[in-house]
Amino acid sequence: MARASTTSDVFNAVADAHRREILDALITGEKPVGAIVNDLSMSQPQVSKHLRVLSEVGLVSCRAEGRRRLYRLEPAHLQPMHTWLAKYERAINERLDRMDDYLQDLQRRERMR
Amino acid sequence: MNGTRHGSATIGFPSDREVLVTRQFDAPAELVFDVLTKPEHVRMWFGAKELEVCEIDFRVGGKYHFVGFVMDGDTATCSFRGTYLEIERPVRLVGTWVFDGRPDAEAMETVELREEDGVTTMTDRLAFKDRATRDSMTWAAADGLHADEGGQVGLDRLEDYLTTLA
Repeated sequence: MARASTTSDVFNAVADAHRREILDALITGEKPVGAIVNDLSMSQPQVSKHLRVLSEVGLVSCRAEGRRRLYRLEPAHLQPMHTWLAKYERAINERLDRMDDYLQDLQRRERMR
Repeated sequence: MNGTRHGSATIGFPSDREVLVTRQFDAPAELVFDVLTKPEHVRMWFGAKELEVCEIDFRVGGKYHFVGFVMDGDTATCSFRGTYLEIERPVRLVGTWVFDGRPDAEAMETVELREEDGVTTMTDRLAFKDRATRDSMTWAAADGLHADEGGQVGLDRLEDYLTTLA
């Protein structure tokens, strides 16, 4: 399967540790680039580059306030990851639910003996 | 009553290379341990249908091999194998874990059982050699165990996002 580019795929966009740090920094609220740079050990050009990738996949949005540009997290765009985790959880739960039913049946048969 | 705990497994990613599944069962630890380790039991629940192969040589250094349909609706048979490394009935079981579709992605599996008031809590920890291997295997499992579609997916600290942003 061909790998999607970082700019079209949420999974690849968050595969980078620096971009995850930026998302973490935005969890507490909307911030200008300068505040993100202060929070993290990254240069301003680096932060700007990563913000561009995060904006392109929709994980971050940007609005102007006077001369500043404020960046905010758009958690709804993490939906593909929610969907992925739900699928994985379902696969594991199917097996453990079968094990649970089997254990209950064994114990019921034991009590009836 | 069957089904009261259905869907209650919790899945965590305690480190970069691990997956940790926790589940409670209304059964004594000895019985849970036997259901995890005796072939006549494992073959009945491990797969979506009764396993085609369920070989267990239950001793330290002994091997196991399970083949069957692992998920409902799955069309491919899946084969898992490994070697038991530590056996301490009914509290702890350690072994290697290999999915035959991805023999390079061997993991160390540690199962621990703790019984309290008739309820046994099972933790099942899979430790892969690195994050990329873990991510590709969990991705494959989510995708119906089509392992060759895995890879490339960074999911480090995903659970933090899910809990923080939910």
